[in-house]
Amino acid sequence: MLAKRVFFNKYSIGTKITMALGICIVYGVFLYTQGANPFLIYYEMFQATFGNVYGIGEVAIKATPFILTALAVAIPARVGLISVGGEGQLACGALSSTFAAVYIFKDMPSFIGIPMLLLAGALGGALWAVVPGILKIVARVNETITTLLLNYVAFFLVGYFIYGILKSPDAYGWPFSPRFSDSLRLPTLEGTRIHIGILIAVAVAIIVWYVTMYTHLGFRMRVVGGNVKAAKHSGIIVERMQFVTLIVGGAVGGLAGIIEVSGIEGHLRPMTGVGYGYIGFLVAWMAGNHPLLIIPFAILLAAISVGGNALEMHSGLNSSIVLILMGFILIVILAIGKRGGK
Amino acid sequence: MIFVTEVLTNAIRAGTAVGYVSVGEVIGQRSGVINLGAEGSMLAGALTAFALTAWTGNPWYGVMCGGISGALMSLIHAFVVITRNANQLATGLAIMFFGQGITAYFGSSYVNLQISGFEPIALPFLSDIPIIGSIFFHHDILTYLSMLMVPLVWVFLFSTKWGVILRATGERDEVVYAHGKSPNCIRYMAVVVGGFFAGVGGAQLSIAFSHSWMENITQGRGLIGVILVIFASWRPERAMLGAYLFGGSQALIVSLQGRGYNFSSFLLFMIPYILTIVVLVMVERTGWNPMPEALKKVFGRG
Repeated sequence: MLAKRVFFNKYSIGTKITMALGICIVYGVFLYTQGANPFLIYYEMFQATFGNVYGIGEVAIKATPFILTALAVAIPARVGLISVGGEGQLACGALSSTFAAVYIFKDMPSFIGIPMLLLAGALGGALWAVVPGILKIVARVNETITTLLLNYVAFFLVGYFIYGILKSPDAYGWPFSPRFSDSLRLPTLEGTRIHIGILIAVAVAIIVWYVTMYTHLGFRMRVVGGNVKAAKHSGIIVERMQFVTLIVGGAVGGLAGIIEVSGIEGHLRPMTGVGYGYIGFLVAWMAGNHPLLIIPFAILLAAISVGGNALEMHSGLNSSIVLILMGFILIVILAIGKRGGK
Repeated sequence: MIFVTEVLTNAIRAGTAVGYVSVGEVIGQRSGVINLGAEGSMLAGALTAFALTAWTGNPWYGVMCGGISGALMSLIHAFVVITRNANQLATGLAIMFFGQGITAYFGSSYVNLQISGFEPIALPFLSDIPIIGSIFFHHDILTYLSMLMVPLVWVFLFSTKWGVILRATGERDEVVYAHGKSPNCIRYMAVVVGGFFAGVGGAQLSIAFSHSWMENITQGRGLIGVILVIFASWRPERAMLGAYLFGGSQALIVSLQGRGYNFSSFLLFMIPYILTIVVLVMVERTGWNPMPEALKKVFGRG
């Protein structure tokens, strides 16, 4: 039942190839009109993403938050809730863990500090999801709207602290939090920027997949998602399931925040991870909310965005040209995937 | 008193762009289509208007073409969600990203350019009324138009035949179908008109408000406009009020900081969003849900 809803199973290989080729050709013509050689650009984009170890690492780094924010959407989706709150949960996870890193675990050794930070991030994201959760089950307010609104509140909350008490005195007036101590940075693969975040993200995806597919809890989740009345009659407390999935989704979204800060940037900025929540929503949609399919789609969008940065360096075209490609691909998939993944 | 008039004047100045988006979105959502891509429409409108004004020197060309490019962006949305039946929220976000990309790319040569565009005009006689005159009648022409637009849209929605058909499309489209009209055709028109409004809102932002272009100039105003419709319970006059409230929170910050008060503007920026949530909770308590039936399907079961 699940597999049928998944986008990729609905089309023959031929359709998929035609679609991909069509996108490449249309975008290639566009690149040509901009005075660039499309073949060269495609080659460079490929080189920059999957052509060498460095590129693959960059894609993995970029895909990590996308996987987690997509899971933050996919988990509540299992019980039929539409959350767009990945953006705010990521911000709050990053914020709470930055507080923890700066004030509490500053001098902790890595083996305690990093798990504690991850916990703090997950807690921050979960707390942020408590608001729409309570509003949903107590006041029956639609969770899509509240999560969307709270994204903005979270963004301003981060700004409030970064320009206020969290502002580092050593950042030359820039709105940055103090840097995390080295023991609190996620361990990286020797000599690269690849950090263990991608492993965490994939592990979370596998756990979510296992729980939803093979456990009693997952079964009850799917019952609620399939038919609320049937769930009520079989004794499942629907409200509790909705609340719990929202919170768990929030925790996963919060993980994306801490991993982004501790794994890559080393300090919190107002713009850390901005937009990742919305990309996560699109990833989850494309994957039909399937926890494992989320991974390849996150990698696809990550590759496009990494390829775009490379484009700017090599061909001098503004990197925003790749946002055009991303939007275009998404629109085509949405337009062709009739009733897919709903 | 000077302080109050200053804040209120600037509230209107800063809120008008959002107001255009929001009122346009009322029309679209009344037909049952929510368009998060209004952000993309607004960006397209802002850039097109700016480019054309810089090129021709006549801001009216800018406004017209800005509106049209906003409408074209929303036409994509309409095609994907109405004809191809795709998820409305996902499509809207995709269009938002597309709009951000396309305007950032083509707009890069217009950054750091200043144009005159529309300047504020003091309306004769009206602007001499104390206080009210300076709040309402010292604005650019697009702001005056937006004030005219609200009652026009109101009349259209609630006391014309086409308004009834539009609202019926959002509530029970089989009735419209039985009446001999195509619901999808009406939805197309509503979404495209909404996009036109968003484009004009973007134009107001770039050629009448800031007189300059920068990447992602709207900074989420399009999404805010969409959300305000929910705050406004799908009524155009409340949508405009919400937009002024949004502009007011920004104007208050600027005015207070200009007077040397030192506080964080971020807490004030949150107010419109938190207020919307409070309104939603209160509306839900009354048991009255003004959301068009067709939209309820988009948002899943209540």
